[in-house]
Amino acid sequence: MDTEARKKALHYFFDKLVGPLGFKFTPDVELKDFLLEQEVKLEAKHGVPFCPCQPIRNDRARDMKIVCPCIPYHREYFDALKRCWCGLFVHKDVTDPDSLPQLPPKEVGLE
Amino acid sequence: MSNNFIRAISVGEIAPGGMKAVELDGHEIVICNCGGTFYAIQRRCGHMNAPLEMGTLDGTYVTCGMHCAQFDVITGQALSGPVPADMGNEALPPRVAAMLQNVGMQMQHVRTESICTYETKVEGGWVHVAP
Repeated sequence: MDTEARKKALHYFFDKLVGPLGFKFTPDVELKDFLLEQEVKLEAKHGVPFCPCQPIRNDRARDMKIVCPCIPYHREYFDALKRCWCGLFVHKDVTDPDSLPQLPPKEVGLE
Repeated sequence: MSNNFIRAISVGEIAPGGMKAVELDGHEIVICNCGGTFYAIQRRCGHMNAPLEMGTLDGTYVTCGMHCAQFDVITGQALSGPVPADMGNEALPPRVAAMLQNVGMQMQHVRTESICTYETKVEGGWVHVAP
């Protein structure tokens, strides 16, 4: 399986999914490229493009909540951060993803 | 460019986003209408030979209906192998579980290969394919 071709396909499908949720790909092209590549590797290993920054616990119900794009499962938290965990997706109005604070759920009033 | 184009279907036969299987000169082919541009690919999935027109076409990506292997219809490149099925949490009857285990063990060794693509051209309201 060609990694670049798969990255392009994941980009195409993810873009259609996250747009209606109010998110877009990070404008940081290097980070986007790196994260998509990790997802391609995870998909090759597990058959599913898991989030590259979350642990796989071999508990299907929990693991399905970290399949990229996992925005619907963690909507409140991501909306508070204006980005997802790994930063592959940011709110549509974000132009400088580096300026976004990365806070634990407790600090945004979710725990 | 191939000179052996065969008239396959009329342009109106497939709506954008649709696919249709045809047999041309002994070749099983699926013609895909990707937003008004026509592409032709081999009918058989590069994973386990399922008919690709029974899957879905999204942009220029076709997903097989059997195990969800994906291919680019422009290049024929295999983009994804099969997706693991959700068997649920309930225990299966032992015979079924054993059968699925056997199938799963064999499927691990099935490679997903890229598929053939064929040249197409539209002329006089017809899609021609060079098999």
